[in-house]
Amino acid sequence: MAEFTAAVYQNEFLADGGTDVNAIVTITCKGAGTAGQSGSGAAGEIIIVDTSGSMGPATMAAAKDAAQAAVAEIVDGTWFAVIAGADRAMLAYPQVASGPGMIRMDERARADASAAIGRFVGSGGTAISTWLDLAGQLFNSVPEATQRHVLLLTDGENRERPGRLDEAIQRATGYFQADCRGAGTDWQVAEIRRISQALLGTVDIIPRPDQMKAQFQEIMRAAMSRGVADASLRVWTPQGSQVLFVRQVSPTVEDLTNRRTPVNPLTGDYPTGAWADESRDYHVAIRVPAKAIGQEQLAARVQLALGDDVVTQALVKATWSNNSELTAKIDRQVAHYTGQAELADMIQEGLAAKAAGDEATATTKLGRAVQLAAETGNDEATSKLKKVVDVENEKEGTVRLKRAVEKADEMALDTASTKTTRIRKEPS
Amino acid sequence: MTCPSCGASVAAGARFCESCGAQLGQPDVVPAPVTAVDDHPLGDAPISAPTRKPASSLPDPPPAGRRPCVDCGGEVGPDLYCLKCGTKAPSERDHFSEQPASWVAGVCDKGVGKARNEDSMALLAGAEPGSRAVLVVMDGVSNSVDSDVASLAGARAAREVLRMPLPAGMGTTEGRQAAGAKVLADAAAAANTAIIAVTDPDSTNPASATFSAAVLEGRKVSWANIGDSRTYWLPDAGTPVQLSVDDSVAQEQMAGGMSREAAETGPQAHAITKWLGRDSENFVPTGGTLELTESGWLLACSDGLWNYCSSPEAMAEQVRATGSSDPAAVANALVAYANACGGHDNITAALARVDVAVDQTGLGHNDQTPTPAESGTPGGEPTDG
Repeated sequence: MAEFTAAVYQNEFLADGGTDVNAIVTITCKGAGTAGQSGSGAAGEIIIVDTSGSMGPATMAAAKDAAQAAVAEIVDGTWFAVIAGADRAMLAYPQVASGPGMIRMDERARADASAAIGRFVGSGGTAISTWLDLAGQLFNSVPEATQRHVLLLTDGENRERPGRLDEAIQRATGYFQADCRGAGTDWQVAEIRRISQALLGTVDIIPRPDQMKAQFQEIMRAAMSRGVADASLRVWTPQGSQVLFVRQVSPTVEDLTNRRTPVNPLTGDYPTGAWADESRDYHVAIRVPAKAIGQEQLAARVQLALGDDVVTQALVKATWSNNSELTAKIDRQVAHYTGQAELADMIQEGLAAKAAGDEATATTKLGRAVQLAAETGNDEATSKLKKVVDVENEKEGTVRLKRAVEKADEMALDTASTKTTRIRKEPS
Repeated sequence: MTCPSCGASVAAGARFCESCGAQLGQPDVVPAPVTAVDDHPLGDAPISAPTRKPASSLPDPPPAGRRPCVDCGGEVGPDLYCLKCGTKAPSERDHFSEQPASWVAGVCDKGVGKARNEDSMALLAGAEPGSRAVLVVMDGVSNSVDSDVASLAGARAAREVLRMPLPAGMGTTEGRQAAGAKVLADAAAAANTAIIAVTDPDSTNPASATFSAAVLEGRKVSWANIGDSRTYWLPDAGTPVQLSVDDSVAQEQMAGGMSREAAETGPQAHAITKWLGRDSENFVPTGGTLELTESGWLLACSDGLWNYCSSPEAMAEQVRATGSSDPAAVANALVAYANACGGHDNITAALARVDVAVDQTGLGHNDQTPTPAESGTPGGEPTDG
């Protein structure tokens, strides 16, 4: 049985008249077990491989190999299916015309699925909305598979009427999770990130075909280790208060503020998807009416809920004080993650400005990103930034845009922009 | 001799430096060891510190079941915050009252400016008004660790020592006083032992507290004091007196001729020179006895109250202003008054109502304890004559 714990990091002291409370809540899961085997329903896995004409021979061969490796990682008993995606989505395995569109994994299914993947041929265009919709229909045909996960690989830009993909994303949101990978450099990071963010998954670039197999194995292993099907971050705030934002800040920055589902007038649920043995950090910011010096009050109860069961709780407090030594301090965790969130914004906005030809804005934003990455010790971001800009002064954040940049490096910087680093926790 | 400010040489005994004008050589007041300087409302207390809280040293847990929020009337959750407005439900330790008998009551309150209540009190009283009462008030030193736990443990230990009547000694007044003082000193020692018992042996900043105890037996009041919590006698009509003498820098300055106002508002106003706790060097209290001859209030309180009405006259005025003869009402009113004045420190007020019968026959005092009815209706009962 999975066990959850919660810890809160904050400076609860507010100056006279202060209203804004910031806290980092770390939620840790232990003993999650294996997907579909912890009594909360069966697990369902769908692998979607882009089989459009743009997939070159080397990429297609690697994709087949990777998809077969992913199938090998799916544990027996898991409901699964394989979709070949082009202008339309085709159910490649199991090859059924009616009834449940998924099959329980066993030795034979594994071999048959691998064979079906081996017969993939690239042709046609890219209509990702149809892929997502088919995945939804397949999951829908197996009601007992309540933990739903998709692994999606594409190599090109979506070729559909604007809005279609967003509609499909909306239909899938809250129904299944998706980890997305882009092969090569002809796909759009922003487009695929929209899918992965809405569907509570990850996005990354696979620049070379030979890296694909390892990535697929890793994604599928991670999916299989998520023994807790679906959890919500439940946030209670006092009457008269306002939730400024709720965002996941580790392992990646994901703004959840607008994804609130009301539970009652004072409480809302924010989706967190499935959990493995892991630890995630959330930054909550609450505005409460100021109280008199010396008063203490609760600014938020931050809980993790599995269905209606609250499995852990952290209390975010506010205490008004006229001791400026107490009130002036910013909690280290809060400061760190505030910097990391800004870093993600600066990288994304900087790259967007660069793509639009606005070099001045790109230089400023990427410069600020270099400065933030250095300040917060995000070495991965620093090394990826250095492939896109020449750093003049890291501390000041002065940079020059590199004249010749590998497209893959720029995309890798973009996809990694939301990854954050942790700082050592203060002794509690 | 050289000037500490500019280094120029100065004549011995000079009060100012000829070169830079800096003041030299402070007046010959020996600075006492400073232990508790309350600059900040939250003191130097760390934002969070490990605590060792033996369950027995805490007040009884609040009754189970639904509790209404004091602020909005909503329900208090199991985490002790309101489920509607988030207001923290006051903990039992932060605000508690005792009323062992109708004529004796006390209130111990966190105040406004402090993060926790380090004051404590422990009261005893016989059911018969005016019979026997014990008031123990202690004030935990805010920059020591776990002083809230320690002060309550100390007050309760002292109360146990004072449960039995004070001994009569050898029959002489002096013997009686000496024997009584010995028991009060034992009570202070018991409080000290209890404080040390709940102090973390590894603590580099061991808990410490003041001690003020008053025992009323009939018309005789005995008191003992360590630190700057106080005992006052506040007669309804006569001259009010502060019975206890503070062990504080302010008190020493007053003894040296400084005015009460100046001493008690100076930078070391709250520095105490004696205290209880592991690092206490002297825990023998000072004290005395007084024979009461008129009706009034016996009050034991912490500096959280007397900060706002230090002189006996000012304190008597505050008690009179409450206009009540109910000790619980008076204690609540005094705490409310201190909170209204800012409540910078924890506040404790414990009172015993003393009603001395007006002796209409002029034949001397009646040794029987007078009842409120007798004193409340002098000559009011019609007689057969």
